[in-house]
Amino acid sequence: MRGLVKQYADGTRANRGIDLDVRSGEVVAVLGPNGAGKTTFLRQLTTELRPSGGTIRVFGIDVVAEPQRAKRLMGITPQEAGMFESLTVREHLQLFARLKGLARRAADAATTEVIALLALSEHERRSVGSLSGGLRRRILIGLALLGDPPLLVLDEPTTGLDPASRRTVWSVLRQIVQQGTTVVLSTHYMEEAERLSDRIAIIDSGRVIAFGSVRELLARLRESYRLSYHDPAAGNGDLRVQRYASFADAQAQIQRLRLSEYSIARASLEDVYFEIAGQPFREDEAAEVLR
Amino acid sequence: MTRRLTDIICVFRIHLARLRREAGPFVLAAVVFPLVMYMFATAVGATGDAGSVHDPSQRVRFLAGSIVFSLSLTAVSWLGYLLLENRFTGRLKLFATLPLAPSSYILGIVVFALAQAAIGTVVLVAIARAFGVRTALSLPVGGLLLGAVLVLTVLCVCGIGVIIAARARSFSEGSLLTDALGAGLVFLAPIYCAPEALPRPLQILSKALPTTYAARGVQTTLLGGTGVATELLALTVMAAATLAVGFRVMRWRED
Repeated sequence: MRGLVKQYADGTRANRGIDLDVRSGEVVAVLGPNGAGKTTFLRQLTTELRPSGGTIRVFGIDVVAEPQRAKRLMGITPQEAGMFESLTVREHLQLFARLKGLARRAADAATTEVIALLALSEHERRSVGSLSGGLRRRILIGLALLGDPPLLVLDEPTTGLDPASRRTVWSVLRQIVQQGTTVVLSTHYMEEAERLSDRIAIIDSGRVIAFGSVRELLARLRESYRLSYHDPAAGNGDLRVQRYASFADAQAQIQRLRLSEYSIARASLEDVYFEIAGQPFREDEAAEVLR
Repeated sequence: MTRRLTDIICVFRIHLARLRREAGPFVLAAVVFPLVMYMFATAVGATGDAGSVHDPSQRVRFLAGSIVFSLSLTAVSWLGYLLLENRFTGRLKLFATLPLAPSSYILGIVVFALAQAAIGTVVLVAIARAFGVRTALSLPVGGLLLGAVLVLTVLCVCGIGVIIAARARSFSEGSLLTDALGAGLVFLAPIYCAPEALPRPLQILSKALPTTYAARGVQTTLLGGTGVATELLALTVMAAATLAVGFRVMRWRED
């Protein structure tokens, strides 16, 4: 992707020039708070939204000029998509496998494989309309996996999933990646980005503000220890978060304030985001008193 | 070509599955309402002129009107509702993730509408026969011409449904429009009465409505006639126009 821009008719600029190179076979997580421009970016990549400027090439194919050809190489899970509730799980997967261009037998085989992979066997004869939100989300991911596309684009694939389902999806994605599939996924779960991805692109206000492996991103921090505590002097129970260059510095602060309840942790991607963007990653963290 | 055919059949099968679960509303739209209208028209005919209701051609007119009413309700109202639902519940997004041409999606919907029309028409004709309506369809030519009129009518009203579904700003706006058009196309056209029975402004307006030509074509063929060239021509032009616009406005990609 080069110089990717999206400006809507009302003048709103969602993307302001995104450059990103994804290597074949790697997992890239696009990370950013709500409204950062992740979904706009992924919708442009998946041909759903026409960019106002810039280019996107998927395995050499110009996504803007040849959307149908590009989509043959992609498995896509949109952030929000409805499903055909009258169909059974198996029918849904089979028909979509056929729509992806698989021959009848290949579609049957791909359906069986995806059902097993996503642990949907006990639900395959049930109508999609009777399933929980978590199971539907798994089916949506299954639809993207059909036909073993070389590129998976997943927009917040595990949002709304319970922890067990989330782990199932992570495990499936790891298996897929071992087979050489390239994955671009957006998430606002730091843990998901850290666990799954080879490299992370942090997006803020429609721009990539950092791109690299977790190690590379953390290396950018000057203060790599995070101390969280309730300030006894404040008396209002506010959670304070402070960052320190060393463990010893954090300990010194604990002793200085005579804290009895606190936690010290290694800095995370949230801290990287804070360091680069100058604001907290999560909205609820905005309420915290930051140093 | 094979690929496109497979795509169309898959889209058709996806929507056909819905009939399994929602057969009730379908029967209501395709059979019950038109049947009730047939009985209503027959009753009104009997009060207006005691002899007219026993006139075979008048009863065939009512049957033709009910068939067109059924097509309009299923292909504009019910199908329009389904297309709106696909769009506003995010199902269209799922199709947009596939290497599927928007035109294949529309054609799959058209095949589904044709299947609905076939079921509705066959059931209505069978019920009408039970009511003692005698048709004089000349086979095979009359049958083929009737089939052509029905197919062109479905294509035409389906195109209207696609345009509304693609352009509506909200689900409620779209469903209001499809409901109004589904019924309006029937009641603004002379399908249960002779054209001259309509007020003058409606007579002029009805010339632009596909249901006018559909009712006349169905009635003519059911009475054994084959002179439906004008009706076929008008319906072909209207079907081509509405589908052309439908193909143009239905896109996966947003600007």
